[in-house]
Amino acid sequence: ASSNSVHFDLKTYWTALIAEINKKLEDAIPVKYPERIYEAMRYSVLDEAAKRAPPVMCIASSEIFGVPRSAAFPTACALEMIHAASLIHDDLPCMDDAAARRGRPSNHTIYGVDMAILAGDALFPLGFQHIVTYTPSEVIPENRILQVIAEFARAVGSTGMAAGQFVDLRNGNGNGDREGVVEFVQEKKFGEMAECSAACGGLLAGAADEEVARLRRYGRAVGVLYQVVDDVMESRRDGGEGVKNKKSFVRLYGLERALKRAEELREEAKRELDGFVDVYGKTKVAPLYSFVDYAVDRSFVVGDG
Amino acid sequence: EETQKKQQMGFNFKSYMVEKANSVHQALDEAVSLKEPLKIHEAMRYSLLAGGKRVRPALCIAACELVGGEESLAMPAACAVEMIHTMSLIHDDLPCMDNDDLRRGKPTNHKVYGEDVAVLAGDALLALAFEHVANATKGVSPARVVRAIGELARVIGTEGLVAGQVVDIQSEGRDVGEVGIEQLEYIHLHKTAALLEGSVVMGAIVGGGGDEEVERLRRYATCVGLLFQVVDDILDVTKSSEELGKTAGKDLLADKVTYPKVMGLEKARVFAEDLNREAKLQLLGFDGERAAPLLALADYIALRQN
Repeated sequence: ASSNSVHFDLKTYWTALIAEINKKLEDAIPVKYPERIYEAMRYSVLDEAAKRAPPVMCIASSEIFGVPRSAAFPTACALEMIHAASLIHDDLPCMDDAAARRGRPSNHTIYGVDMAILAGDALFPLGFQHIVTYTPSEVIPENRILQVIAEFARAVGSTGMAAGQFVDLRNGNGNGDREGVVEFVQEKKFGEMAECSAACGGLLAGAADEEVARLRRYGRAVGVLYQVVDDVMESRRDGGEGVKNKKSFVRLYGLERALKRAEELREEAKRELDGFVDVYGKTKVAPLYSFVDYAVDRSFVVGDG
Repeated sequence: EETQKKQQMGFNFKSYMVEKANSVHQALDEAVSLKEPLKIHEAMRYSLLAGGKRVRPALCIAACELVGGEESLAMPAACAVEMIHTMSLIHDDLPCMDNDDLRRGKPTNHKVYGEDVAVLAGDALLALAFEHVANATKGVSPARVVRAIGELARVIGTEGLVAGQVVDIQSEGRDVGEVGIEQLEYIHLHKTAALLEGSVVMGAIVGGGGDEEVERLRRYATCVGLLFQVVDDILDVTKSSEELGKTAGKDLLADKVTYPKVMGLEKARVFAEDLNREAKLQLLGFDGERAAPLLALADYIALRQN
């Protein structure tokens, strides 16, 4: 572990934030006419099992620079809306054709493919609307709000998550020799959301370009780290045999390499944070450090799943 | 009204529209360059640069100019509304929605690129619209750009395009009597009028318009938006597929509720005339010369043949 780590109770911090975020998301999507679309949106956004990792990472990043939570919450909640939208569309029959998500039927399984597409189409703009409506401009000047909006759009757009999804679909069976492709897909599908979350914390604060870039690299490393560790955990559950997920890092490269990659990513993420400690102090950066360790240890359970 | 007519007389609408469509096309071409992954960007460009009349961008720019702004202030917003319009067409044409094979006389996006890419290209255009307004708008205060983005977001989701499409889907296959004029109006106010409203209002905001001007133009756009749909419905029963560049009579086949079906063809025509008059009324307080494009746009939407 890095010498910059201080004791920090991540579980309490995270759990408290989840409660606040869930409450705000609940309020942000009331059921109105036409009810079915609101219900479809709520089904995915208000998922009890959601860990709310993107908003928590966004808030933790913004707190390094002293942004008050109230000013970061609209962006944090919007991250969940955009995240949900992208997952709903990824699960569609014409895409990953996933019947389930986080142990529940996927959105289109319940609401139909048409409603699922529309729920996604509505959640993207709702995220943007949420940011511009609720971010207090006396705390966060409008030019920063514009940067956050551009960052969201970049993350989900044609060179971000949409690109990852596309390349993933076109290389469906994940042949082990296509290493560059696998890396690309992992970075885009799992790193992009975390990169955006961490970067937005810095953008809200008006952090220097170099600091935002640091947060980007941190977020990206943590996002991919999570996925690699997920794959390792899955392979262990299955006794190392017959990993179902064809795109699993473990299935493609073996357990040993997956563990090595995880260790590299952990170090990479922490190295980025070390740069903040000198300026802002260990305590301010503690939540982001403990996030990295959690990605590897999974020492407690957040959300309902 | 007499004065308005005179002002329109000296205005060459056709060349105005051609000029705006060209500059919008060029701006769109630049906004969506061909890069990796090529297929997604090709799909985005296929639908976005397919032509079309660029009515929404023209409304956006005309509203900007009406309140005294330069065209360049509104160009990113004008491109954004066209991106959103295109995105909604791509998604509406999908097999699980309206299942259309033909759009603007060409195969629909998913016919050419596949359903997966069509969904992604739509999503990417949606994102790009916001990114483009946020990054490419120059010479406008950030506060106004944020306001414009709020308008854009509102007219896409559950208060706009999506709401209209949902109610449209839900009303399919139901009796005309059961659906009624109120629901029909709901569909079109959301599915069509909302984005036209967003186009005009965004243009007025980035152009520097005052609150009262913005609201007056909002009412103009609502009327023009409904007008657009009433005329569309009328054309669907009176024109052939060839003339329209899309499958005519499809609304009848799909058992869709339309104005001619609910109120009869003649009454639908009278309704269209009322809406046109109401729209123009909102422009009375503005400088006559500058109002000419929006006056002519209302007429154009009322009298178009495809």
